[in-house]
Formats: sequence, C-alpha cells, structure tokens
Amino acid sequence: MPDNIDIRGKGVVGGKASGEALVADATLSFWGEVDAVTGKIIAVGHPLEGESLKDRVLVIRSTKGSSGTPMILNLAKLEGNAPVAFVNVEVDSLAALGCIVNEIPMLSKLESDPFAVVSTGDQVEVDADAGVMRISKISP
Amino acid sequence: MNLTTEQQSILDGSKGEYLAKCMRWLVQWGDVMGAEGLIKCDNTHALLPVPNLMARNASDDTMRSYMADLKQACEHRTAEGCYCTLHAAFVTFEDVDVPENDPEQVAMQKELADLAANAGFIPTFTCAPYLVGNVPVRGEVCAWTESSAVVYANTILGARTTRHGTESAIAASLLGLVPEYGVLLDENRKGSLRVEVTANLTHPTDWGALGYFAGKEAGLGIPVFNGCRRPSQDEAKQLCAALATSGGVTMAHIVGVTPEARTLEDAFQDEVPEETILFDNETLRAQYESLRQITGDEIDACILGCPHASIRELAEIAHLLKGKKVADGVRLWVDTARGTKGNADAMGYTKIIEDAGGTILTETCPTNMRIPAKRIITHGFKQAHYSRGMIECESIIAKTDACVRSAVAGKWLGD
Repeated sequence: MPDNIDIRGKGVVGGKASGEALVADATLSFWGEVDAVTGKIIAVGHPLEGESLKDRVLVIRSTKGSSGTPMILNLAKLEGNAPVAFVNVEVDSLAALGCIVNEIPMLSKLESDPFAVVSTGDQVEVDADAGVMRISKISP
Repeated sequence: MNLTTEQQSILDGSKGEYLAKCMRWLVQWGDVMGAEGLIKCDNTHALLPVPNLMARNASDDTMRSYMADLKQACEHRTAEGCYCTLHAAFVTFEDVDVPENDPEQVAMQKELADLAANAGFIPTFTCAPYLVGNVPVRGEVCAWTESSAVVYANTILGARTTRHGTESAIAASLLGLVPEYGVLLDENRKGSLRVEVTANLTHPTDWGALGYFAGKEAGLGIPVFNGCRRPSQDEAKQLCAALATSGGVTMAHIVGVTPEARTLEDAFQDEVPEETILFDNETLRAQYESLRQITGDEIDACILGCPHASIRELAEIAHLLKGKKVADGVRLWVDTARGTKGNADAMGYTKIIEDAGGTILTETCPTNMRIPAKRIITHGFKQAHYSRGMIECESIIAKTDACVRSAVAGKWLGD
C-alpha cells in the first residue's frame, strides 16, 4: 500500500485543514451526542463514544437529526474543540450550515469508499477548494 | 444562486454588516444545497437561547462572544408580516429549586427574551410551536428549527420547511427569505421508503415507537406509512419527534392524513415501490425494549412533555395524579410552553400536579437544563434516547399511565 492515498470528492464548504482522522461508518448528532465544552462524543453505544473531536478530521457517513448542530459546533469552535474538517459521505444540511457559519471545510461526494481506506489515527489533509483528501497511513 | 438586485445589495452591505452576514449565510447555504434562488418565507421558529449548562466551564470569552451574536440579531426587526416564534431554552423562568437553573444565565435569558420581543420574536420558548398558535397552513413556506417540529409541519400540516439551525432561522426571520431547496420543492417531497403498519397502535408512545423504527430505516429519506389509522395530535407529535431522533428525517407521509398524500400513489408521486418494510406488533415491542436497558428498578425522575405537553396531555397527567403522591426521591417533571401552562392553571391541572408533588416546567425541559438523574422514566422516545448521553442516566420508555404509576411507586412497575 502506498504511503499517501488521495480520495477525490466535492468541496461542500471551501478551505483547507489537516489533522488526525476520527473515523466511523456511522451517523452522529452534534445535539445530544457531543459535549461542546469537552469536545467529546457522549452518545452511549456510539462507535466513537468518548473520542475527542478537537482538531480531528471527522470522517463519518453523515450528521443526523438535529437543528442544534450549528449551535453546538459554534460553542465547540469558540472553546477550541471543533473538528478542523468534515468528510461526510452524505451532506446533512445542518452540518453544511454549521460549517459555513463556523468556517470549517467540508468534503463530500467521494469517488471511493473512505471507510475502506482511512482509519482513526491516520493523518489527513483536506483541501475542500480542490476537492481532495490526502491520507497518510499510520501503519503499512 | 440567482439573486435579485435587492438581495444582492443587502449582500453587499446596503442594510448594514449584520444583515449582509445573514444574507451570506443563506446564499452560501443555498449554493451548497443546490438552491436556484431565495424565496419569501412567512413563518419562522428560531433559537435564541443562553447555553446554560451546555457551556458549563466554558470560558468567559466564549460566553461573551456567543451572547454578543444573539444580541446583535435582536438589534434588527423581524421581516414585515413574518410570524416568528422562539424555540425552547436551556433555563426556566419558573421559580424552581434546582442549582442547574443558574440565576446568572436566567437573567441573561430574560434580557434576551425582552430584546427578542422588541425585535418581533414571540417569546414562546417551546419545542412544539404548533401547540401554541404557530400553525402554518398547507404550502406555507417556513424556516423552523427543532427537527421534531419540522417533521410535524411538513407531515401533519402540509407546510414546507427544511431543517434550520440557529443562524439560518435568525437570518430567515430578519430577511423574510429562505433558499429554495429540499422539501420546499414538490419533487423533493416524494416518499422514499414504504412502511406497512400492522401493529396495533394504542397510545402516543406507540406512535413514537413507529417513528423511532422508521427513522433508523429511513436515514435522511422520506418514510411513507401505509395501513395505519389517523393519529391524534399528541400521537402525531410523538411520531414526528421520534422520526427526527433516530434518523435525519425532514418529513414523512401518512397515507390518508398528510395533506398531499391522500393515496399511496400520491405519497410516492405515482412511483410506488414494490419493496416494503413491516412494522408489526413484534417490531413495536422491540422499540420499547431497545430503550429499556436498565440495571435496576428504582427511578429518580419521571419526565413528561417531550415534546412539550399539550393541554390534553396535562389533563391526562392531572387525572392520573389526582389524590396521589409522587414517591420520595422521585422528581416528576411536566414540560410545556408558558401559554399552555396558563390554560392548565385555569383548568386546575397545575394545582393537582403540584399537590401530587410534580413540577410543571416551562420554557425548557430537565434534560435541556442538564438536571442530573440516575434512571428516568419518560413517555417520549426522543427524551429516552437523548437523556442517556445528555444527563448520563439510564432510561425507560413507557406509556404515560405506566410512567405516572412508576413515579408514584418510586420504581419501574412494568407496563
């Protein structure tokens, strides 16, 4: 496997960021499932329960459900606990709004399945302007 | 997106910096969601809350910056003719004896409520605006926050709203505009998942179970319920809240009930799928079991009114509690809008509930306030689902009468 893998997609909200990937083929609600002040996922039984969103590239299927998403994301950002970028397979309109308002890049409509390639802990560079994510694997 | 000359000039700052920012949010959001333009919006349900314990241990800078944004919104007027109500808050204005109702935050919320009223927002502070006068008509373009209310507006009333967040609902309220995408357009109101309902639904919580199941199955899609009877207002409220809890549903169709779905063909815009999923009595029971993962029987909170209770639910709860006492160590909360409580006061329901040791909570709910509990019982699937993470409790979903019986006994007595 090569050291760096690129996945092309569509920039939903522009910008560039890099960070450690936080990955689950799952949905997540910022409302009720994320604590803005600790930046942690508090959803009981969620595959990412207990993980911190701070400075992570959040690779999930989509956010879900809640109109509280932009507000929680705003508080998290003010506290320095927000993800640096969103990579979502499906675009939830509220996550898009949260990213627009809080100026967080978001990538979607990926050309291949990210869950087959990227794992939690990998370094990921997201360039939503160019529509690509570059993954540096932590292990071969 | 194509903007009119006036919209472009607001974006360029003709009405000041804040409205330019609001316009930018709507335009950028519309571009992302594939809207071709902005259309007139006559009805909003917006969020102007202090964060209370959600921002426990947040820095002073965070709070200052957060409050400054909301105050700035209230320095403007809501758009002419636009009906603007406010979503539930995270504190109560009631005189309750709980440390979670931080007096500093209550004062800040009261200040915001006054500023909001001056700006033209009606301070309803509820998650169920359709119970306190904000009842849009079929086809009315709205901008609502609160996913459960969004599903209700689209599914039960036939109004049209996408799911809004704080900033987009404020922008829509001040500008009277929304980007035209999603369920605002006929073609995006087409059903995506056919659910045949054979289960015997006898109570609002059963309808919550149906929504909880279908939300998981539908994801961001549009479930179509076929074969069920017409729900009551309270049953519809539970269905819609649960749909928005387990999934990202914006609307559903109930064949024969949703205004634009007189038939199955209507709901699917003449492309009825062969494939169906079944909601039978066994599936119904499984939904209850999924939110009863408990390690003991003792309960310390009973939370009713999620979403905010209707006057008929308050009547039922008062009837069940009349002459009884909530067990020591159990807090029984009934959450509702201030307007509904006014009617409950007049009907004598408030006194009966308080005499039994219960508390009516307005503007908010105990989970929004983060009032801690070890094990709660509730009739709302939304409450049972979220409270587990938000207040780190165990939860038990049950019908209203079973909730009240358990609150009186101090422990889960079963259905």
